[in-house]
Amino acid sequence: MIIVFLLVLIQFVPAGLPDTIAENENDLLYNNQIPEQVAVILKTSCYDCHSNETNYPWYSYVAPVSWLVGKDIREGREELNFSEWESLSKIDKAKHLDNIIDEVSDGDMPMNIYTIIHTDAKLSSEEIEQLANWAEDYAESLFE
Amino acid sequence: MLIVVAGFLFVNFNIADNNIPQEEVKTEKPQYHVPDDVQQIIDNSCYGCHNSESKNEKGKKKLQFDKMSDLKTYKQVGSLADIADVVTEGDMPPEKFLKKYPERQLSKEEQEKLVSWANNLAKQLTPED
Repeated sequence: MIIVFLLVLIQFVPAGLPDTIAENENDLLYNNQIPEQVAVILKTSCYDCHSNETNYPWYSYVAPVSWLVGKDIREGREELNFSEWESLSKIDKAKHLDNIIDEVSDGDMPMNIYTIIHTDAKLSSEEIEQLANWAEDYAESLFE
Repeated sequence: MLIVVAGFLFVNFNIADNNIPQEEVKTEKPQYHVPDDVQQIIDNSCYGCHNSESKNEKGKKKLQFDKMSDLKTYKQVGSLADIADVVTEGDMPPEKFLKKYPERQLSKEEQEKLVSWANNLAKQLTPED
């Protein structure tokens, strides 16, 4: 009984879920010719946290899940936000592309807590390779 | 402790050789000189973990100062930008390391020196936006 009461009560604590913005003129995918497969991977496995186009499932609005989701998305966007890609300097683009390669190759991204529920976001070894190869080609093209 | 100190003695961070004939300087891999004061900061606070012989696997994997010049340009720039980030944020050197070696903590001045070196070099290596 007390637990139910507490669950109701915590729903009134603001979760801080960042707003979604559908149209982003500085978006990576919007501004660049990116291979279809890579674009799909980015959208499916990265964009929920690393863009303004978050798809919030219903349970993400329910505390205490909402707190966790809110925190991860705030941190994700702050670290790297593909919706603002074109506003980045070449140096920052290189930094992020370099980090993308390391993170996905090491299996550190997408985060486990995310892929446990979003199973389609889990990257196969083939997808990891596609993403890493794209990031490398793109990064190198910045220095030509 | 001894190993760490020994490691510092073998610091060799891509010192550009000034005697190379002009045409050979134009290699794909950029060569650059690390100013002595910056090199000293790196030796004291970073190199112990971030070198190719490091026993700290995580640090070794992330960045090896002695092999930096072997990297592709974008990776060098990426590493330099990361250096600037983590030093600015105070995330490096890590707390655990500083607990053991408090004398390796970066002073405000050292932090600034390292960050502006990394930022400037990254700019130098990057074509204009």
